[in-house]
Amino acid sequence: MTLITVQEQHLPGTSLEEKFEYALAWGYDGIELRSAGDLKFKARLPELRRARNAGVIMPTACVDMTHFVGAFDGELRRDAVVQLKSQLSVMAEIEGRGVMTPASYGMFSKRLPPFIPPRTADEDTAVLMEAFSELGEHAAAEGVEIYLEPLNRYEDHMINTLADGVRLLKLVGQDSVRLAPDTYHMNIEESDPAAALQDAAGYIGHVQASDSNRLEPGAGNIDWALFGATLKSIGYQGTVALESRLSGPAEDVLPRVPSLLGRYL
Amino acid sequence: MTAAGASDGVTSGGATLTGGSADVGTSDGGHPATAALIAARSTAVLEANWRKTHTVPAAGLYPHQWSWDSSFIAMGLRRVSPRRAGQEMDALFAGQWDDGRLPQIIFDPHRDQDYAPGASFWQSRSIPGSPRHAETAGLVQPPNHAWAVWKIHQADPAESRRRSFLQRSYPKLVHWHEYLSGRRDRGGSGLACIVHPWESGTDNSPLWDTVMTRIPADCKTVLNRPDLQHADAGERPSQKEYGKYFWMAERYRDHGCDDADPDYPFLLEDPMFNTLLAVSELALADIAAELGLPGEAHAERAARITEALEALYVPELGCYSARDVTDGTVVPKATINGLIPLLLPDHANTDQLLETLNGPRFMDGRALMVPSYDATAEDHNPALYWRGPAWFNMSWMVSEALERLGRTGQAEFLRGNIGRLAAQHDFPEYVDPWTGAAHGTRSFSWTAALALETTYHRSAL
Repeated sequence: MTLITVQEQHLPGTSLEEKFEYALAWGYDGIELRSAGDLKFKARLPELRRARNAGVIMPTACVDMTHFVGAFDGELRRDAVVQLKSQLSVMAEIEGRGVMTPASYGMFSKRLPPFIPPRTADEDTAVLMEAFSELGEHAAAEGVEIYLEPLNRYEDHMINTLADGVRLLKLVGQDSVRLAPDTYHMNIEESDPAAALQDAAGYIGHVQASDSNRLEPGAGNIDWALFGATLKSIGYQGTVALESRLSGPAEDVLPRVPSLLGRYL
Repeated sequence: MTAAGASDGVTSGGATLTGGSADVGTSDGGHPATAALIAARSTAVLEANWRKTHTVPAAGLYPHQWSWDSSFIAMGLRRVSPRRAGQEMDALFAGQWDDGRLPQIIFDPHRDQDYAPGASFWQSRSIPGSPRHAETAGLVQPPNHAWAVWKIHQADPAESRRRSFLQRSYPKLVHWHEYLSGRRDRGGSGLACIVHPWESGTDNSPLWDTVMTRIPADCKTVLNRPDLQHADAGERPSQKEYGKYFWMAERYRDHGCDDADPDYPFLLEDPMFNTLLAVSELALADIAAELGLPGEAHAERAARITEALEALYVPELGCYSARDVTDGTVVPKATINGLIPLLLPDHANTDQLLETLNGPRFMDGRALMVPSYDATAEDHNPALYWRGPAWFNMSWMVSEALERLGRTGQAEFLRGNIGRLAAQHDFPEYVDPWTGAAHGTRSFSWTAALALETTYHRSAL
C-alpha cells in the first residue's frame, strides 16, 4: 500500500510525536524528514529514536544541504557523500526506507548564463557514477536505499528527466540506488508524465508530490487522477511525500491533500 | 501481428505486474486482485497509445484518431484520467465539419504512409465545409459520442464543470445529430443512413454482402495495404473488398461529400448505428438537464428513432437488421448489429432479442463473448473480422443492456470474460467467441478501455 507522507517543517508541534499527531489528524500516513548537513541529522538520533519508539512513521528523508554529490568542487562533493552515508545509516537505525538527493541544486543551469558548464556531460556522468556507486554500496550494507531526484532544467544541469535518471541508474547497476520522481519537476521536463512513469517503472523507489506551481497538490494544474492511475498501473508500493510550498495556512491546505491523492492512489 | 511498439507498455509495469499473463488467464476475473491486475495492464495500454491529444486505436495498424473508437476509449480512459478522456473528445470535435459531421478519422499528418486511405486520399481541405486545421476522412462512424461525453462528465462532475466540458461539447453534439437526422435521413424514414461499410464500424459484416455485389471494384486509387503489415491477411478484408471500399469512398469524396448524389449505390439503415443515435439523444437529454437547458426534444427524438427502428425488425430472425434504402429491402441476416437495440429502454422486442442472444445464433450457452455474426450461418467464420469473431465493444454494449434489464448475472459473465480475455491475450482486437483465441492486432485501445471499465469497481475494492 502506498503511504502518503508530509515533510516535517509543514507540521505544527515542537516534537516529532506532536507533528505525527497532526499528520495523522490531517490524513497523512507519516512524515518525511529533512536531513541537514554537517552531520546535524546524525545529531538528531536521540530525537529520532524516541519518535520511532513512539510509533512515528518516518520512511524517508530528503536532503537539506547547500552542496550535493554532483558539486563541481571536489571537497564539497566528497562532503556530500559523507553526509549522505551518515544519513543513510541514521535512516537504517530508525528503520526507514532511504534518503533522497538530487545530483545538484542551484549550482548550474544550461538555460541561464553562462550556459556552458565547466564540466563535460561525460565528466558529470563519471562524477555521479562514482558518488552513487559508493552510496549504493553503503545503502545496501545498511539495508536502505538512496533515491536520485531529477530536478528541472533551471535547478540542475545533469539529471532533468526520469529517463536521464534511469540512464545513470543503469550505469550504476545497484538495486539500492533508485529513482525519486517529483511531479513538479516532471511537469516541466516530461512531455508525457504518464509515459515517463511507465518507462521508469522498474526503477522508482520514492515519489514526491507537488503541483505545477510548486504549491501543494490540488493548488495547480497537474492531472492527479492520471498520476494516481499510473502509479497503480506500474504497481508502485513506495511512499508519496508532499514536498511543496503551501497556498495558505498549513492547517487549512494540508488536510485537503491526502483526500485528493487518496482518491486516485 | 502485434502492433509495433505498443506492447511494451503492457509489460513494463512494476515488479508485481511482470511475469506474463498466465495468472490472469487462469484466475477468476471477478477477484479484486485479478481485477486490479487487469486494470493496471489496461491503463498501461491506454497510456502507451496516448498521443498528447488523443489515443490511437493501435500503434501500428491504426495510427490516427478514429471517431467511435475514441468514444469507447474515453469511456474507459475516464477511469485513468477524466481530463484526458475530455481531451480525447475535444480532439475529435476539432475535426468537426461545418455541416456537423464528426469524421471517421482525423489524420496524424506524420503517419500518412501508414494507413490507407489516408489524408492524401481524402484531400479534405479541398472540400467545402471541412475543418481548416485538421485533415480528416469524409465519412463518419456510429454516433456513440454524446453517450461518452455524459459518462466522462459523470466520472468527475467537479472537474467537468471546472473545465466547462459539457457546455462546449453540447452544441457540437447537437450539430452532429442534426447532420445525421437531417441530411443522412436519405430514406425519409426517420433513420440515419450510412453511405459506406466503414461508417457502420463493422466493415465487412455480412449485412453489406448483397449490396457489395453491385459495387464496382475498379477504383482509381492504386491499392496499398499497410494494414497487412500488422495483421494476417486471413483476418482482414480481402483485396477485392478493398477495391469496392475505395470505389465508394472515391465516389463519395468526388461528390463533395454532400450526401446529394442521387444514384449513389450504398445507402443502408443500420440498427446499431441508429440505436447509438437514440442512446446518444437520451444522453443529450441528460446533458441538457445538467446544463439547465430544455431536453425534451432529445427524448422525443430518441423515441422517434426507436419507433422507426421497428421497420428493421425481422421476426423470423428474432433481431433487427439493416435496410437497403435504394430498394427498401431488409437484409435477412442476424448480426450483432441487430442485437444492439437491446440498449433502448422500454423496448417492444426485448424478450425476443434476449431469446435470440441466448439462442443458437449467438451465445448458445457456450460462447464466452457475443459473436458478431449468426453462428448457424454457413459462412460464419470465428476468426474473420466482423464475420463471426467477438468484439469487446459489442459484448460490452450487450453487458450494459443486460445490466439495465436486470440480467445482472449474464452481464457479469460478459464483463468477467471481457476483462479476462483482454488481459490474457494482450488486449486483442477481437477473439474467437467459443474458445477466446485472440485475433487481429494487439494492445488495441478500446479493448483495454472497456476491460478497464468492466473491472474498475472491482479493482478499487
